[in-house]
Order: sequence, then C-alpha cells, then structure tokens
Amino acid sequence: MNKHIPAEIERFDLSARIQHVIMFTTFLLLSFTGWGLKYAYADPSSAWITIWGGAKTAGIIHRTAGIIMLLDFLYHQFYLLNLWRKKDLRLTVVPMPKDVVDFFQNVAYYVGLSKKKANFGKFSYMQKFDYWAVYWGMFIIGTSGLFLAFPVMASYVFPTWSISWAWDVLFIMHSDEALLAIVFILFFHFYNEHLRSDVFPMNYMWLTGKMPIEELKHKHPAEYEYLYGDKGKK
Amino acid sequence: MKIWLNTLLLLVFTVVSAPAANAASDNASCLTCHGAMQGTVEKEKGVLVNLHIDQAKFEKSVHGGFVACVDCHLTFGPNPHQAPSANVAKAVKDMANAISAKSKVDAVAQAACLNCHPDMYKEYASSIHGRNVIKKRSGDGPVCTSCHGSAHYIQPKTNRESMVNHFSVVSTCGNCHEEKSISEKYGFSPLVMERYLESFHGRKVKLGHPGAPVCSNCHGAHDVKGQKDAASPVAGANKKKTCGTAACHPGATDKFIAAITHKPLHPIAHYSEIALILLTLGVFIFIVVHVFLDIYADVRDRLFRKGNKHE
Repeated sequence: MNKHIPAEIERFDLSARIQHVIMFTTFLLLSFTGWGLKYAYADPSSAWITIWGGAKTAGIIHRTAGIIMLLDFLYHQFYLLNLWRKKDLRLTVVPMPKDVVDFFQNVAYYVGLSKKKANFGKFSYMQKFDYWAVYWGMFIIGTSGLFLAFPVMASYVFPTWSISWAWDVLFIMHSDEALLAIVFILFFHFYNEHLRSDVFPMNYMWLTGKMPIEELKHKHPAEYEYLYGDKGKK
Repeated sequence: MKIWLNTLLLLVFTVVSAPAANAASDNASCLTCHGAMQGTVEKEKGVLVNLHIDQAKFEKSVHGGFVACVDCHLTFGPNPHQAPSANVAKAVKDMANAISAKSKVDAVAQAACLNCHPDMYKEYASSIHGRNVIKKRSGDGPVCTSCHGSAHYIQPKTNRESMVNHFSVVSTCGNCHEEKSISEKYGFSPLVMERYLESFHGRKVKLGHPGAPVCSNCHGAHDVKGQKDAASPVAGANKKKTCGTAACHPGATDKFIAAITHKPLHPIAHYSEIALILLTLGVFIFIVVHVFLDIYADVRDRLFRKGNKHE
C-alpha cells in the first residue's frame, strides 16, 4: 500500500533556521573584524578596521559577536536535548562507518570509476563535516577566544607549569583555527550551498527549511527510502 | 667639490649679511645663511654636519618662535666671525663632554637641552640609557635627539609626526632595540620587537587603538630601567602592578603577567603552531580537491550524461 508522499519535506524547523542565521551573522562579523587583527601588518588592514569603527570598536564588535555565537551554540545543545526529550531526535548527523563507504563511492563517481552515485542518507558526509566543523570551531576557537577576552579570569584556570606557553598557544589556536574556519566556509560551504550549479545563487533551504521531495529522492535516496520506501517503518 | 661650493656660498652670504649679523643675534641672521645653505661639510674625519635648516619647519616646531639658535648652540656668539668660545655653564659642559663620544657635531648644543628641561634630564640621567651614555660614555645609548629627533623640528607628542607619538614610538625604540649587536651586547631578547609586534598589544597599536600599550607605557620613557633593575616597572612584583592598572588589566595575577615576556616562542607553542598550520593546510587541500572533483563531475554529467539526472 502506498503511503501519501508530500510535495516537499521540512528538514530544518524554524528554531534551527534562526540558529543558523545567528551563527552565520556572528561568524561573518567575527571574521571581518578578526581578519584585520590577524593581518594587522598587511596594507589594507588599518583602512579595513577603520570601516569597522576603529580598533577599539572592532574589538567590542568581535567580543560581542563571539559571546552571541557561543550562546547560540549553547542553545543548540538545549534544542537537541529538547528533541531528545520529545523523542524527535534521530541521530542522522552522527558520523557512521557508512560515511566512509559513501565517501569512496562518491569519489569513484566523481572520477568516473563508478556510474552509481553514493546512497546518501538524510545528511551526506559533506553535510556532517559541515555540522561537526562547528563543534570543532566552538571547542578550539570558542574556548580560546573566551580565555583571550577575559585573560585575568582565565589566568586562574591555567596551572602554573603551563603559563610559559599557554598564552601563545591560545593565540595560535584562536587565530589559525579561525583561518581554517573561514577557508572552510569560503570554499566548501559556499561552493556546496551557493555556487554549485544546482543551487546557485543559493540553497533556499536556509529560509524555507523545506526540500522538494524530488530533490530528496535524488540527493538523499537512503533518507527517501527510509521515509517512503516499501520497507519504511513510518 | 661640494665643500668648496659650500665655502664659496658661505663667503658670499657672509659678505652680504655681515652687517646685519653683527648688529643682531636673532635667528633671522643665522637663518639668512643656514636657511639657504644645502648639503653637508666635514667637520672632522667622518663627521658630517648638515648645514641646512628648514626655516618653515623650524618655525612650526615646538621650539620655533621662542628659542634662539644660540640658546642651544652656546659656543657660538652673536658674531659669526668669532671663533666658538668655551664659555658654557659647567653642567652643560660636563654633559657635552660625557656625550662627546656620541655627539661629534655640536655636543654642547645636544647637551644644552638640560638648561630648559632639567627635570627630564634628571630622570634621563638616572635611567639605563642615561647612565650608559653619561657614566659609561658609551656611544650606544640615546641622547635627547636620538628619540625626539633634531631639536630644530621637534613636534608635540600628540602630533603623529613626532617620533615619540603613541603610534610612532615603537619604531623609534626599534631603531636600537631591533639591532642584534645591541641586544647581544646588553643581554636582552633579540626578539623584543618581533614578539611585541605580533602580540595583541602591537597589533592593536598598528590598527590605531589609542589604549593599547607601546614600549614606554610599561617600561617608562626618560626613566627607563634595565630588566634586572629592581626599580623597573616590569621587574619582579612591579610587573603585576604595571599590568594591573585600572585602565588595563585590573586584578592581574602572576600567571596572567607571564603572557607578555618578549621572549622567543616556547617549543610547545612553536610545535602547536606547526601542527595547526598542517591541519589547516590538510583540510584546505582536501576541500579544494573535493570541490574541484565535484565541479568536474557536475560539468561532465550536464554535458554527457543528460539522461541520468534522476538515476
């Protein structure tokens, strides 16, 4: 018996969409202001920071945006907890051995070794990478940023034997991993969600949260199978 | 050739303006010639004297308008034909003798600052710079003009053109403190400048932050002390107080003040940096390759595999 198949499916609820908007707004503010400080001795940086209201104001913007981002991240954990409480939480974004298989299948398809596309679930390994990159960023950049923003308080946390390098390590962590985050977003996320020929100029899901069922079937066949397939349990 | 020309020029101007110079000792008389003269003469072997005074610039300096040439160039009388006399106050003469290893052009003029700025001089004389110059008669340490520039053109500290302005003093200190020969001779970290410039303090100053500290904010200026001197604001327990001022880092702890030392990067920090750069590079290469493979496959599918879009 065929179940009713809707025309489109919601993949991100309103809360997730708002979390995403806060995340990328603060991310852009942090990148723009932090870039000037990281490359302070490069020529355009002084002029660039002037646009952001001078070094002092740019610093305040950076700290404020950083705290909002951390709160957004914290909120996301409660959001997940709430989904779990309502038994709505599916662990679809958790990396699985299948992702390794998907990766090799996908690369084989890319280079022409296989004509079969990878059988992606709700989230492809690229999307999982995108998601968990935020956790890595929050852990490395978020904590180091918090320590650097409140260095006197942070000094109570560090053991005495670490202080001859801890401050430099914090600075390096913050600055290098921020560069990694920017490069990642600029090349990977922007390509996949903005520049790719099938989504250009952008994947509107960040606004609507919904994906047409045809696209789901095409891009996430395993998820389509899970939801509407003959063996589907829903 | 140049000296010959200059001599001729000097002669011409002297003849033309001698009556006026005889009558008055004001700056105009000196500047009649020195405003127009160009180039340098060799006073003694290797000592070149710049004869030119930019009158407009001098007038706009802090000394312009009320300091007469002969207030500092004390050995020169009102009559330029008279030989320089040694009729100079003892304090200035002692100072001039002390800095003669450094100041070969007109030591008296460079020592004469102390006539009008005795407080600054006292602070300077007790500093590590002053002691090195005055007591040890070293040619290394700075005299007033080393940091403030020629007395003819000194600008107020608030002026960006001043060599000791908040945004230029770091490079002024760097003139000597970046020198490897100086850091080796006096035993401070050769990376003082480099480590300061890459610190948050240095970066913020570069970007125009008015509150970020420059060298003198922590180390003092005229009264700067060596790192081993207990009176130095960054020595021992003083450092906590210096870092912990209300405007900077109130409540600074011992562990907090270890953040800024100007010392070379600790090996742990150094290798952490390399590890993180490798990680960044690795991820970057991975995603770029991945993106280009995706573009390749996308173009290929659109051109040659139109049929199987919905496989």
